[in-house]
This record gives sequence, structure tokens and C-alpha cells, in this order.
Amino acid sequence: MKNILKIMNLNLYYDEFQALKDINIDIENNKVTALIGPSGCGKSTFLKCLNRMNDLIEICSIFGEIEYKEENIYKPNYDVINLRTKVGMVFQKPNPFPMSIFDNVAYGPRCQGIKEKKRLEEIVISSLKSAALYEEVKDRMKKSALSLSGGQQQRLCIARAIAMEPEVILMDEPTSSLDPIATLRIEELINELKKKYTIIIVTHSMQQAARISDNTAFFLMGELIEFNKTDKIFTTPLQQKTEDYITGRFG
Amino acid sequence: MSNKQKIIDIFQQALTYLAASVGAITLFMIIFFVFSNGYKLLDFGLLVNDYHAKFYNGGIEDEISYSNTIRPNNLDDEVFYSQKWGIGLKDDNDREGNPIIIVDFIADDSPLKNIYDKNNEEYEPLLLETGHLLSKISFYDKQTALTKYGAEYMIEALNSSDTFREIVYSSLGGGIRGSIITTFYLIGMTMAIALPIGIFTAIYLNEFAPKNKITSLLRSLIETLTGVPSIIFGLMGLAVFVPLTIQMTEATSANIISGSLTLAVILLPVIIRSTEESLKIVPDSFRSASLALGANHTQTTFKVVLPSAFPGIMTGTLLAVGRVIGESAALIFAIGTAVKDDISIFGKSTTLSVHIWSLMKDEPANIELASTIAVIILMIVLLLNIIVKFISKKLIKDLY
Ligand SMILES: Nc1ncnc2c1ncn2[C@@H]1O[C@H](COP(=O)(O)OP(=O)(O)O)[C@@H](O)[C@H]1O
Ligand SMILES: [Mg+2]
Repeated sequence: MKNILKIMNLNLYYDEFQALKDINIDIENNKVTALIGPSGCGKSTFLKCLNRMNDLIEICSIFGEIEYKEENIYKPNYDVINLRTKVGMVFQKPNPFPMSIFDNVAYGPRCQGIKEKKRLEEIVISSLKSAALYEEVKDRMKKSALSLSGGQQQRLCIARAIAMEPEVILMDEPTSSLDPIATLRIEELINELKKKYTIIIVTHSMQQAARISDNTAFFLMGELIEFNKTDKIFTTPLQQKTEDYITGRFG
Repeated sequence: MSNKQKIIDIFQQALTYLAASVGAITLFMIIFFVFSNGYKLLDFGLLVNDYHAKFYNGGIEDEISYSNTIRPNNLDDEVFYSQKWGIGLKDDNDREGNPIIIVDFIADDSPLKNIYDKNNEEYEPLLLETGHLLSKISFYDKQTALTKYGAEYMIEALNSSDTFREIVYSSLGGGIRGSIITTFYLIGMTMAIALPIGIFTAIYLNEFAPKNKITSLLRSLIETLTGVPSIIFGLMGLAVFVPLTIQMTEATSANIISGSLTLAVILLPVIIRSTEESLKIVPDSFRSASLALGANHTQTTFKVVLPSAFPGIMTGTLLAVGRVIGESAALIFAIGTAVKDDISIFGKSTTLSVHIWSLMKDEPANIELASTIAVIILMIVLLLNIIVKFISKKLIKDLY
């Protein structure tokens, strides 16, 4: 299985407004896929379809199919909870819970019923290590997560997602609220993480997309304009609109 | 800035200052009034004593061994002392302002330590102690010594007698221990009923209820209830909870349980609303983060949303406790106005606020004691405030 996620004829409406128009895209295993496009083109909306976070929005209706490991996640009685443990998410603004650093990372496993202290400790430590945060917080695991800096908080959120042992990690502009140094650390981390996980990242920065992604999808007004290898998109785009966007002629 | 605008500006500023100072001065005057009237009676005895004085009628044996204790040096000048009987007495006034004769000192070898209870067939010994009030000593051969003749006469009469027929004394009384206990019972029971129901209702409304007409109707109903005067709830307590508790428990009249139930009904809307407000300000990003981690709705609500809202809920609870302490109108019906010393949750009694009401409805009103109770209420509320501020500050510091 080369493509872990297959999106077929995806149409999405907020009430009357069509936010996604007939999207078809295959997401490759263990690759970083970047979603770019001007603001309001539907990148976040698309991302939230992949772990069904759009279910929470009452006015949102979805048509088409999304296959995760060859199973349609929108079919009736599909186990959404299980999907969300396998397809983790990191949000635009770091949103750690107002709890200790330890409890933040242990939260997901605990919700899955893991109670054993030793087991939880192992998970927390290895997740923090994977998120390149362990060295910075190992002496203050019991401290509030909100005492961390923005960049640390975002890496904590990544650790929190990793603790669920997901296969896919969705990231919605994870560095947009961070300073350049914290951004660089997250980018290095993403390069590290793609060895183990499939990553789909929304970014408003084309340089970031070029630096970290293998494939890039360009969205415009709810449509997928072009999807290709990242170097192709940035060197020889097939569509005029893509070229206009990456050369900064609009958006 | 134009001249006209400047004038308007100054005028508006003056208005805010004026309003603020009127508010501050009024508050200060209330507190000053209460304290200046109440501080004189404020002592530890007030907090731990019974309200109703207990009277004892004592008799003495035929064989009396008199005391040899000479007047101790540390006795006040106003104390009249009898070496023969080993007792020092002093004139004073009680909390209501009536004259009393108070036992200031009693020697270990005083014959008055060996008196027996005349109202008891077994002639059980009585214990006369310092702090007791002597209201009467009657003799075989002379005029009875009464409170109104003063301590000096009482001592003289004792000195010139070898025995007496009867000694009547009492505890001080005028204390508010009973009302304090009732107040705390009421706080405990009301909160035990209203908090869980209120918090869970708020959680249901804010986190689980479908956003439809019925929910919003329920919400506006609750909002309306917050504005209903408490005396109406008191009537309901009298009509519903008093008969209900009489039927279900050993109570025979209005009682603390019916009072708690009534107060719980009054507080429910308050608690529901303050809890909902605290739940509303929990950022949605916490909920999304939790759900995205594969937590279900219930886990999200109880593990993330509720703890985050906890400081706010604590504050709401404090307000509710303040209402319990301050409420009087509803309680006059729902637990009665009888000031009691032996408190049972199945019987009538008064809270501190209702105690004030009872004192003020008498002719003449006992403003001093009422003010003292007001001071105590103010101090309890202040203490509660400090505790809750401290706890929620610590919680917020741990959380955020
Ligand atoms: N919850 C919502 N309700 C209604 N419209 C929405 C909602 N979320 C997003 N939209 C609309 O859908 C479009 C795409 O939004 P979004 O996916 O957030 O864009 P992007 O992440 O690319 O900036 C926008 O026009 C936005 O206004
Ligand atoms: Mg977005």
C-alpha cells in the first residue's frame, strides 16, 4: 500500500457555500505533503476532513469518499475515535491543556484506558524525545504546560499527538505563530518525523513548503489546482495559476 | 481639543469621581455603623455561649466548712469579696444592657462549691463557677439578696449569715453559638444538594444539550428564576418542603432540612448560570485538541473542560455560600425564627441573618447585638473570600 489516504470526489459545503470542489488526491506513505494556497481557499477545511474534525461543525456537509488504509472513513458506523488516534492533529495555535507537561502527553493514552504508571512514563518520555523536547523539560514534567514558550508548546502538542502512535500527523500552519528560530526547530523536527509518520502540513510560506515537503498541493478557491512533486511545483508548474501564485503575482 | 470638548470632558470626569465617592462613602458608612455598634459585645464568649441562660437552684448542706482564702491580690477594685464564703462578686451589664451580678472569683475551699441541685430528687451536686450570674440568694433570717440590690449587698448578706435557703444562678446566655451552628449546617446541606445538581445541569446545557428551542427555553426559564424574590421561594418552602420533611422525617415543624431544600432551589439558577459562564470561557481549542486525540465527548468534558472551568466554578460557589449566609426572608418561613441552643437538623432554629431579624423585631430592638452578629457575618464572608481567592489563585497558577 503506497498511498495511505485516498481522497475521491470530495465536495464540502458550509450551508450553501461550497468550500471544497471535487478534490481528488492521493497521499503517499511516509512523505511530507504540503498544502499551499491563499488564505480562505479551503486548506484547513480539507485537512479537517481527514480526521473528521468537521463533524463538529453542524452546518458542514460532506460528499465523496476518503479512504484511510482502503476503508472509507465517512461510511456509516466508522470508528471515528479510532481514526483520530491514527490520524493525529497539530493546530495552528499551540493549544496545550492547562495541565502539567506530563499530563498533556499522557492525556491521549489515558483516554484510551492506559492507567499503568510505568507504561505512561515510557510513552511520555519517548514521545517527548521524538518531539525533540525531552531535554528541555525533563526536570519539570510536573510544571504547567503553559509555562513553556510558544515553540516548546507547539512541540509539546506534537509530542501529545505522537503519544497516540499515529500513522498520519496533520499540521495546520504549525509555525505561523512562532518566531523564526522556533520555526526552524519545528521544520527540523518534521524532517526527522517523516521517517516514521506520514505528514500533511498546511503552510502559508512557500519557502517552508519547498524546504520540508516531498509533494505539494496548490488550492485555490476550494479547488485543487495542481498536485505534484514539490520540486516540480516550484520549478516547472503545469498550471498558469500555480506559477502566478508561487511567483507572488497574487494571493 | 476645542474648549467645549474640554468642558464636557471635565464634567464627565467629575461625574465619575462623584459617583465613585458616593459609592465608597456609603459602603464605608455602613461598615463603620455596624462596627461601631457591634464591636463592644464582640468576644469569644459570644461565639461559644448559649443564647438562652440556664438557671440553677442550689441548696446547701447543714454542716458548712467556711473558706479560709483571703482576698487574692489580683482581684479588681470593683469586686466585692467574702472570705467566709470564698467568693468575689462584681456588678456588670449583660449584652442586652440589664444589670447582672457576675461571679468574678471562687476559692477552691469555698462552701459554695458544695451546693446541690434543689430541682433534682437525687440532690446532685451543682458546679458554681466564675462567669456565672448570681440572680438571687434567699436567707432564713433576712431580706433576699437580688440582682437589683447589687453585689455589695449580696456579699454583706452572705458575710452576716451562716447559711442560706437557696441560691439561684445562671449561665451568661446571649451567645450565638446555636445560630452559628445552624448557619454552617445550612451551608453544608444546601451546597450538598445544590452544587452537584447545578453543576451537572450546567454541563448538560453547555456541553451536551442540542442547540434547539427547548434548550434555549430552559435557559431563559432558569434566568427568570434568578430574578424571583427569595420570599416567594420561602412561601414555596413553607408550602412544599416543610410538609414534605414533616412527613418523611421525624421533624414536626419547619426545620433545617426544609430550609436547605428551599435555599437549594433559590441557589440552583445562580449556580447553573455561574457554572455555564465558566464553561463558556473555556477555549474551544481545548475541546478540539482533546477530540483530535481520540477522546470522546464525555472524556473531553470531564477531563479538560471541567477542570479548566474550576476556578470560575469555585467563585460561583462562593457567591452561593454568601447567599446562604445572607438570606433571611425565605428562611423565616422555611426554618423558623426561634433562636435555639441545641441544634437538630429536624428542628427549628435561626441562622445568623435571621437571628438579626429576630433581635430587631423585638421592642426595643437590640441594635448592639444585631450589629455584633452583622460584624461576625461580615468576617465570615471576608474569610470565605480570602480562602476562595487563595485557592483559585493557586489553582490558576497550577493550571495556567
Ligand atoms: N465553520 C465554518 N463555517 C462557515 N464557513 C467556513 C467555516 N470554516 C471555514 N469556512 C469558510 O470556508 C472557506 C475555507 O476556509 P479555510 O478552510 O479555513 O481556509 P484556509 O485554511 O485555506 O485559509 C473560507 O471561505 C471560510 O470562510
Ligand atoms: Mg487555515
